Formats: sequence, C-alpha cells, structure tokens
Amino acid sequence: MILVRRSAERGHADLGWINSYYTFSFASYNDPAHMGFRSLRVINDDRIAPGRGFGAHAHRDMEILTYVLDGGLTHRDSMGQIQTFGANTIQTMSAGTGVIHSEFNASEQEGGHFLQIWIEPAAPDVEPSYQQISFDPSEKRGRFLLLAAPWGMNHDDLGGHHASIHQDAFVYAAVLGPGESVQRKLARGRHAWVQVAQGSLSINGETLAEGDGAAISDECDLAFTGNQEGGEFLFFDLA
Amino acid sequence: MQDINTLVTFSSRTGSTERLALAAALGAVQARSYIRLRWLREAVDDETVDRLPEWRSNRTRMAREYIAPREIDFLWADVLLLGMPARDGVSSPEWTTYLAAIESVQHGGKFQGKVGSAFTADASETGRGEPALVSLCSSLDGLDLILVPPDLADAGSPIESARLHGRRVIEAARGLRQDRMIQAQAI
Repeated sequence: MILVRRSAERGHADLGWINSYYTFSFASYNDPAHMGFRSLRVINDDRIAPGRGFGAHAHRDMEILTYVLDGGLTHRDSMGQIQTFGANTIQTMSAGTGVIHSEFNASEQEGGHFLQIWIEPAAPDVEPSYQQISFDPSEKRGRFLLLAAPWGMNHDDLGGHHASIHQDAFVYAAVLGPGESVQRKLARGRHAWVQVAQGSLSINGETLAEGDGAAISDECDLAFTGNQEGGEFLFFDLA
Repeated sequence: MQDINTLVTFSSRTGSTERLALAAALGAVQARSYIRLRWLREAVDDETVDRLPEWRSNRTRMAREYIAPREIDFLWADVLLLGMPARDGVSSPEWTTYLAAIESVQHGGKFQGKVGSAFTADASETGRGEPALVSLCSSLDGLDLILVPPDLADAGSPIESARLHGRRVIEAARGLRQDRMIQAQAI
C-alpha cells in the first residue's frame, strides 16, 4: 500500500525570512490526520533568506536531521559545536536530555533550501550528541546512500560511513537520472516513507513530484524510476 | 512533563554572560522546562562598542541569534531568570528599561506565583559578581516574584554552576506549583 502525500496538501507558512512546507503538523500547522508516520515526526521543507535563520532555541528527546539541498547552514549549540555545512552532508543531532542551538543560512547573499527532519527517539534522556558526515555526490547517484542508521550498527556491515540515531530507522538518499531505475526490498513488517527532495520520479508506477511524500506499508518490492528530469529523494526505512 | 515556562533574559558584551545564560537555560531544559532566551542590547554608541575587543562581532552575532524580551514573554513565563555581567548593575539604562517593563506588567497582578532568580558573570567568569547579583535579586524581590536565591557553592566551573542553578530553579518552581495544587485541593 502506497499512500501519497502531495506537496500542495502540506502545511505552509511564509514568514518572509522563511518559506516552509510542512509534511506533518508543525508549529502553527496542526492537522491530526498528519502527525507523522511511524517514528518519523517532522519533515519541513524550508527556504531561508540570506543571513536569516533560527535563533537560540531548545530541543529535548528528539533525533534531528538536517539535509541541505541548496546553500549552506551555520549551526551553533550548547555542546560547543560551531559548524557550517552545505549539500551532500547529513547533520544529525540527538537532543536527548537537552540541547540549545541556533541555525542560520550561512550566506549573506544567497537563499538556502533545507530539509529539517525529526525522528522520535526509542528512549528518552539519551546523552546529547552531534554528527556531521559529508559524502561525494556520486555516492548517491543511481543507488541508495545510507545517511543514518541506529546506534550500534557497524559501519562496515552497512557499506560505508553514516550518522547514528537513537531509533530503529534507516535514512537513505538517492539520485536518479531520467529513466534510471533502482530496486529496493522492504522487509516484512517494516514501513517506509519516501520524500522527493528535487525533480520527480515514480514508485511502482505511482508518480511523485518535488515535495511529494509517500507512506509505504505491506509492500515488499519497490521499484523507483526517475522521470523526465530525474530526481533526488530520501528513503526512510522504519519499524 | 514540560509544564514550566522559563524566560532567560541576559545582557552580555563579549559573550561571558551569554555562555552562563545558555548554561542556565540548558539546566532548565534538562529539568523539562520550555525556555525562551532574550538578550538585552546595551544602550551605547558605536564608539563605545569599538573600545572593547570582540564586543562588535559578538553584538552583531547576538543581535541575529536573540530577540529582545517582549511583554508577551513576561506573561508566558512561569520563571524569570535574569543574568548580567558583574560590572553592571540594575541602574544601567537597558536594565532600568527592562525592569520598568516587567514592573508595568506586574502592576496588573499578573506575576502572582511566578518565580524569579538571577546569575552574574565577571570578566574572568568566576560567576561571583555579588553586588550585581544582590541588585538583581533585590529588584526581583520588589516585583513580588518568589525568589529562588542563587547558590554560590562551587560546582567546578561557572558554566556548571549556572547549569545546576537553572535546573534547581525549575525544580523549585515545580515544587511550589505542586504545593499550591495540594493546598487548593485541601480547601
């Protein structure tokens, strides 16, 4: 079963300095029918004006992943991290017992385009941590690149370096050219969320455009094909 | 159980008091409080700012990262945590204005049951700026807030002391709230 969440159906807020589309309920957008999917709680598609961003604010008991689609982001936090990163990087922060941080578009001239993702942790009160892992864009072309996996999973067994999160969830990125296809098995009892970051593609014949998402359950064989302009998507393999 | 709202307001030039404010706020978050961080911009001219190394760059950065406190923040907060550099006092223009703003809200009787506390930093981050601390606490006391006194015991570092203080204030506020609820049920 594939349930599509169309881009235009998402929540939306344009505050001038930030233009956000919310796949799930967030801030002023509250829809009880869209509170998340499995442990996936938030996917915010944010476009942030030059030099602007989120001032110091707190998080607790949440796995927070940031994926830059265009531009760069500067992050400061109460763990002492001051980092700037751009595309082809996954940043994860386990808020656990508490983190205070700020995030700003790193450019004073160019806008930025970011996906902010929250995943509920399996247990509260973990020790806060920060990870930032970059990769070569070729690593996600025509294949699933693992961005994040549960703590304790061996990097070598999973085929490369990735961030660790406190939940039974695997996050992948993939880029497909026009007509290019990849297959993926979804284990029995597992669920998946697909979020199209850029371009368009189809899953088992279901067409998804930029910003669209899809909840997948009770499906074992998944076939992804890039449409005319190809596309990039995130794939969440969830318990 | 995030049932306490905490407003952390601080003034800072080179970032020392900001670090203590972040630590106190983190302690509050660890005690499961919602927090808002607000920065009081000093009422000084550009020439004065440029006299102190780092003041200019920190001022620019903090102006981006923090907004100034608003009346709605006072009303939202169950706990007011105030922090200033030890060299300052409540007679500085920004604090005079801020405390007057709080007082105007307090006159409406909207501070009943709210908790207040304070912390200070000096240039060496010893966190023992007693004169400033005393002046801040006196101001809070005059606003009819329930005052949680600062703990001057050495926690190993000023940052750690501030974190523990933030945590302790929230625990005190939660305990007071529970006491009130028990009393209300007994009536």
